[in-house]
Amino acid sequence: MSVAHGEQVRVLEEEHGQVGERSLNWWGMVFFIASEALIFANLIAAYLYLEIRNNNDIWQLPHSNLFLPLLNTAILLGSSVSVHFAGTGIRKGNVRQLIIGLSVTIFLGACFLVGLAYEWTSLIADEHFSISSSIFGSAFFTLTGFHGLHVTIGAIFLAVCLVRATKGHFSKQQHFAVQAAEMYWHFVDVVWLFVVTLVYFVPLFR
Amino acid sequence: MATSTIGERATTIDVRRKRFSETYIGEWITTTDHKQLGLMYLITGFFFFVVGGMEALLIRTQLALPNGKVLDPDTYNQIFTMHGTTMIFLFVIPVLSGFGNYIVPLMIGARDMAYPRMNAFGFWLLLFGGIFMQSSFLFGQAPNGGWFMYAPLSELAAGHAFQATPHMNADFWLLGTTLLGISSITGSLNFVVTVFKLRAPGMSINRMPLFTWMILVMSFLLLFALPSLTVASVLLLLDRHMGAHFYQYGSGGDPLLWQHLFWSFGHPEVYILILPAFGIVSEILPVFSRKPIFGYTFIAWSGVAIGFLSFTVWAHHMFAVGLPSIAQAFFATSTTLIAIPTAVKIFNWLATIWGGKIRFNAPMLFALGFIAMFLIGGLNGAALAVVPFDYQITDSYFVVAHIHYVLFGGTALAVFAGIYYWFPKFTGKLMDDRLAKWHFWVTFIGLNLTFFPMHLMGILGMPRRVYTYPANLGWNDLNAMASVGAFIIGVGVILFMINIIKSLKAGQAAGDDPWDAYTLEWDTTSPPKKYNFLEIPVVRSRRPFYDKKYPDIADWKNVIKH
Repeated sequence: MSVAHGEQVRVLEEEHGQVGERSLNWWGMVFFIASEALIFANLIAAYLYLEIRNNNDIWQLPHSNLFLPLLNTAILLGSSVSVHFAGTGIRKGNVRQLIIGLSVTIFLGACFLVGLAYEWTSLIADEHFSISSSIFGSAFFTLTGFHGLHVTIGAIFLAVCLVRATKGHFSKQQHFAVQAAEMYWHFVDVVWLFVVTLVYFVPLFR
Repeated sequence: MATSTIGERATTIDVRRKRFSETYIGEWITTTDHKQLGLMYLITGFFFFVVGGMEALLIRTQLALPNGKVLDPDTYNQIFTMHGTTMIFLFVIPVLSGFGNYIVPLMIGARDMAYPRMNAFGFWLLLFGGIFMQSSFLFGQAPNGGWFMYAPLSELAAGHAFQATPHMNADFWLLGTTLLGISSITGSLNFVVTVFKLRAPGMSINRMPLFTWMILVMSFLLLFALPSLTVASVLLLLDRHMGAHFYQYGSGGDPLLWQHLFWSFGHPEVYILILPAFGIVSEILPVFSRKPIFGYTFIAWSGVAIGFLSFTVWAHHMFAVGLPSIAQAFFATSTTLIAIPTAVKIFNWLATIWGGKIRFNAPMLFALGFIAMFLIGGLNGAALAVVPFDYQITDSYFVVAHIHYVLFGGTALAVFAGIYYWFPKFTGKLMDDRLAKWHFWVTFIGLNLTFFPMHLMGILGMPRRVYTYPANLGWNDLNAMASVGAFIIGVGVILFMINIIKSLKAGQAAGDDPWDAYTLEWDTTSPPKKYNFLEIPVVRSRRPFYDKKYPDIADWKNVIKH
């Protein structure tokens, strides 16, 4: 029982050179993200379906203040840059750069979540616009909430990497967790671009 | 660490107590070995098969006679919902992933799955997800909305002052299937990466055994179809508990959204349940006909074609809800199209056994039974794709007959075929072939007696899921027949269990290769060692083990000659 299966797999990889440049874990992460992307594709399809079928309610937020969503978009895009900075660092073996990049990314992620929370609370408290006030409310809070949940998961993922980085778990050769967190974070950012376009900008052109 | 010496460590190893993971039970609980996990999947799946089977017997007892009073209406709803849910999510998927877990790494010449620990995680999630769902009976609140849990009936309240599912029934189903969905996602990720990255040297995609092909297609379907179910369930949970309105027409939502989301999972799901069965049969037929498979490329790629098409047919479950006629025409056409790759497979199987030296052992009997029964299931399925006919018999017992010919006559027979085929590999013991043949014939007669009359009941207008029926509608004899048949199937299952126990206790030693088979799993000991292969095999054709056993007439020599 004590034979490490990772060891067996590694022997297979090295002896037969089948795995190529990408590690097994990289492939697993790709398919995992593909499946996650399908979750958002389904949510967005449901959102559009309801939008097209809907003919009573106003399919729009009660305010048209785009400052906060634009700021959040900038924050999230910036965090994509910083997480890439972190990944480049560890690929060169620079743990300091990794720690700085991860810290900045987590901070930006937290800023994004604060921005989202601020927008939600102001919508609910000031505009009396909630998940149950209309079908658009349901769709809006679900889509942004799902995305916010994924940002939270990604931030936790990065935070675990940060703790491990300070403990010296990562090196130039061994840093798959960082790579996976980076991939996941980029994915979350790309999803946000779809969400922000659909939820905030498309309704303006109708 | 730094202060201890090698000598000290050696003595501590000698005297220390066994770790938990080294005891017998601890080894099973902590294992990450794909073979042990595969067996645990199979045992768990079979356990839930018995649970779901008992639920089926309760249904048939209630319906055996008109005005039955065995179950009260609410319990009846719970029983038929849990029968469908259990059989699909807790029997078929686990058993098929069990085969996949055990067999695929062996077939492709790998030492384990790509992610052994995630494999274990997936199994335990499945087991506890299953227990969680069945535990709803303890609260008297088992899911009761049918296995597709249509909104708005599964909402807390479907409208003003109309209570639909006010209690936890639907929540058990929604949370349970989400857990099982996560388990399936981990499993299918693992299969995809294992099959793509860990094949033995020389085993190109075109030399992969067909069972591996079908597990690969199944895994892609799971990866890309399950998110629809997850989203549908989350939206319904939000409706139920957070006050959202996704499926509530009165508030701007749309109940049809549930049907679209559910069936865009649900129809690929049907192929998830049948494709690995195709794979099992495609392994068994050539071995027991002493011929290579006929039309390998066509069988493999028709499976892929079915996979793609399965994402384009979901609304054929919704012909009666009033879709635009252009949509109905589209979905009728795409559904009929699926008959083509399926027929390709059936003709290839027939051509495989054509002129072969057939051995009628139990696996072969079950595989042949599979072809016949699945053909019926496929034909009445194609009938359901005809929209005007579907208007007449949708939601009737005809549909129940269809799904059971596909999933019981199809998948379940293939699962039994697979167990009889690979049991010697799992345990090193042969199963009793005579008892197995009894099992086959009892099951075969039982299933036709149960499910064939359901076609007629459907045409005579008996709706599915009715709790009972009056005596004057002409359904009495057919229902009585179906109920007798269900108990005959039950006898068959008991014969199967006796055979398993008997063979485990006193089965003949099987040797490593009892069937003179072709694929690499038979090139290991029975049961295989932890590391599977002492040396990773090198593959030169589609039948690597056949090549090794018969070097003079090896397949790869023929290929060069051509």
